[in-house]
Amino acid sequence: MNKALRNPLVFILFVIPALVLFIMFFIYPIFSSIYYSFTSWNGVSDTVKYAGLDNFKKALGDERFWVSVKNNGWFILFSVCIQVPLIVFFSLLIANVKKLKGLYKTAVFMPSIMSTAVIGILWGFIYEPNIGLFNKVLGLVGIEPVYWLSDERFAMLSILITNAWQWTGFYIVMVLAAILSIPAELDEAAAIDGATGFQRATRITLPLIVPIISVVIMLSIAGAMKAADIVIVMTKGGPAGSTEVMATYMIKYAITNFKYGYGNTIAVLIFMFTLVVTALYQLLFARRNERIEY
Amino acid sequence: MPRLKKSLPHVALLGYLVVVLFPFLFVLFSSVKKDNNAIALNPFGIPKTFEFSNYVEAWVNAKISTYFFNSLYISILSSVVSILLASMFAFAVTRMRQGQWNKILFSLVLIGMLIPNNALMLPIYTIVRKLHILNTHWALIIPYIANAIPFTIIILAAFMRSLPSEIEEAAVMDGLKAPGIFARIIVPLTVPAMVTVFIVNFLGNWNEFLLANYFLSNDELRTLPVGMVQFRDQYQMNYAQMSAGIVYSVVPVIVIYAILQEKIIEGVTAGSVKG
Repeated sequence: MNKALRNPLVFILFVIPALVLFIMFFIYPIFSSIYYSFTSWNGVSDTVKYAGLDNFKKALGDERFWVSVKNNGWFILFSVCIQVPLIVFFSLLIANVKKLKGLYKTAVFMPSIMSTAVIGILWGFIYEPNIGLFNKVLGLVGIEPVYWLSDERFAMLSILITNAWQWTGFYIVMVLAAILSIPAELDEAAAIDGATGFQRATRITLPLIVPIISVVIMLSIAGAMKAADIVIVMTKGGPAGSTEVMATYMIKYAITNFKYGYGNTIAVLIFMFTLVVTALYQLLFARRNERIEY
Repeated sequence: MPRLKKSLPHVALLGYLVVVLFPFLFVLFSSVKKDNNAIALNPFGIPKTFEFSNYVEAWVNAKISTYFFNSLYISILSSVVSILLASMFAFAVTRMRQGQWNKILFSLVLIGMLIPNNALMLPIYTIVRKLHILNTHWALIIPYIANAIPFTIIILAAFMRSLPSEIEEAAVMDGLKAPGIFARIIVPLTVPAMVTVFIVNFLGNWNEFLLANYFLSNDELRTLPVGMVQFRDQYQMNYAQMSAGIVYSVVPVIVIYAILQEKIIEGVTAGSVKG
């Protein structure tokens, strides 16, 4: 009866093209990165010289590399400690208003569909010291112009704000979808029992959306680890390397400076850090991430 | 008092809307102002004169049209091909009967979702160079196709799994073989999911910056995001023209979004909401 669907030849033909691309662009690169991370190769010459753990030792003693690690850390901290509470707050607000819900949901999401490169340019203009929006606002209250992107004290913060502006709405929509899928009876029952809106939000909705908040945190950590284009467009890692992140540092070494081996070492370290951070998060916070039944 | 309580959330939300929308408005207004001076004197307000010549200058000088069409065809082609390959794969692992292989292959692809893919950029650069397609559009198209495959397979497989198996039994009775079942039955039924995935992949490719920036060096080949960054670097001092450039690259996306926002939001949240 189902012989048609047991045909191994067709199965193989259907699976092969996607599988080949997948192996070529996902699996092979991982092993290739690991292999080259132990070499001192420039990426072009014919001879690949084995270097043992030299690259890793170099990275661990490389002060500028640690600055980039720290900056990835800022990305994570900023999104987890500042963005996530805002995401939850605004999601709860949108879920509970009756009017304009569609408008909020649509408008809030808009920045996330735009190219990070263009957003970087747009915000670069907003941060422009003399005619940019930010300093004009500060000027109204009598604060001297701030060199947002060229002052080491502010450059990283400026990038973090732009990044948050771009992605907060994206996560709001996600959390909102989870809130709206909670059956209304729960909320109504609590309302009948006399719970105020605030009580219902904190005692009923919030505990029910813990799993999705956990997903949002995981996604922001992953996003923070791979942030690169926004830095390249807004500051190119400057001033004086103060906004460099791991991915931009990797690119700088491997492609601009022809240190392909060392670049791959950084790529491997990005993997390892991502793995460690997500594993730590899972262990410390996401343990009680059991499935919720309504 | 109850009225005040009702409007309080709206006050907060409208504040957020202003934060989201004002930067766009700022750029839109700046794009029709005469020069930097006109922007500096009146950064918040509606322009006094409308200088549409900024748009002409940006379109001509910055070759925005070239970048625009490069982006358009690269994004469409890559998205279509990855959907084609991913749907074949998804069909095989969800509807065909190969025992353990279905599970093994599907799980393998799932791993792809966990890999921070721009850490893979260097090996991909080498692959592209060895294929001798560096500095051609293929250097983007092939990685874009590959890159979209895990996500596309996951969404399409979930959709295909939900189709009842009776339809295949009927199709087999009518004499269809596996490829026929795929092409004539499963694909037409999967179109709604494909549309959603197409839009998400299209936007991803349309916005991609890193590969496009490093894998192409010929200006004629550049995509819109890279072209815009270059344009900014060249005309940094002319903020009015730069704003016109930004408007060009933002408007198509906003139009697509306005028409398809339901689908886009659906597609982007599809993989993650399991509340």
